[in-house]
Amino acid sequence: MNRLEYMMRLAELLQDVPEEERVAAMQYYNDYFNDAGEENEQKVIEELGSPEKVAAEMKAGLGREEGEFGEFRDTGYTDVRFEEKNSPTTYEKQRTHQEYGGHNDGEQAVEEKKPWTNKWLKIALIILVILVALPVGGPILGGIAAAVIGLSIAAFAVFFAFVVASVAVFVSGLVLLIVGFFTIVSNVASALLMIGSGLLFMALGAIATVASIRLCIIVVPGLFRFFVGLIRRIFHKREAVVS
Amino acid sequence: MVFNTGAALLDAIVLAVVSRESEGTYGYKITQDVRKAIEVSESTLYPVLRRLQKDDCLEVYDQQFDGRNRRYYKVTDKGVAQLNLYRTEWESYSDNINRIFEGGGM
Repeated sequence: MNRLEYMMRLAELLQDVPEEERVAAMQYYNDYFNDAGEENEQKVIEELGSPEKVAAEMKAGLGREEGEFGEFRDTGYTDVRFEEKNSPTTYEKQRTHQEYGGHNDGEQAVEEKKPWTNKWLKIALIILVILVALPVGGPILGGIAAAVIGLSIAAFAVFFAFVVASVAVFVSGLVLLIVGFFTIVSNVASALLMIGSGLLFMALGAIATVASIRLCIIVVPGLFRFFVGLIRRIFHKREAVVS
Repeated sequence: MVFNTGAALLDAIVLAVVSRESEGTYGYKITQDVRKAIEVSESTLYPVLRRLQKDDCLEVYDQQFDGRNRRYYKVTDKGVAQLNLYRTEWESYSDNINRIFEGGGM
């Protein structure tokens, strides 16, 4: 067995410990090999013992810390299965920890760290979901976004069209008026008709222009707010799903 | 070795070894130094270091060495206090044993 095989076997055996612990242990033994030097590789492997033993000792230390706390404090981390012989120094150890309150600190630290692995797992899952859902969800979301943008542009266009139409009525009235003045010499009757209707159109156009501009002033900001709100709600919903 | 090294004594030895280096020291060196004093399996030291670290007796930091990151261990204030306690306990313990061995009165 060489170093690489040893480390791979160890990583395999540590699959069931929290990631944080696994990473720390792998780094430790990687450092260990590096510091021992290439020439001592086989010696280190021999002296460390089998990866199974290293993993079991490590897990024993972890297990006692999380589980049977009292026992852990009393007998220490030591795994009796692999220690040649060991007697617990109960009394001193217990007293020490009571006096220093190390007891509770240790326990809390362990409990606080637990959600970490959960959090990372959650993030990994979310990334996975995003990766899987993107090919399907992407086009659908894109379609919805395009529809929303299109509708908002259409709504703005409708109100803008009102303004343009009103201005057009006014302009046509103006044109009729001017043409009416020119035809007054040749055809008085039609000229009067044109002037009259031109004035009428101008008046209507002016009223409609003012009215439609006012309408825009009232409606456009409202529309704006509506669409901004809509988009925000969509994004909020997505955020809610993510967190 | 005839005598066993209990967990508390092993903790004390590791703390003492690490505290000798004010700038901190690394796993391989700790193991070699401990092994100068007592027979201990190389794989035994990691769980000890890890637990001392969790008990806030040791702190770790990574530092570049030889183009790679090496993890260093350093004794914390709490670790120093713990070590001092171990020292006084050891003194009275070994004194008592010595007195018996040398045939003196208790």
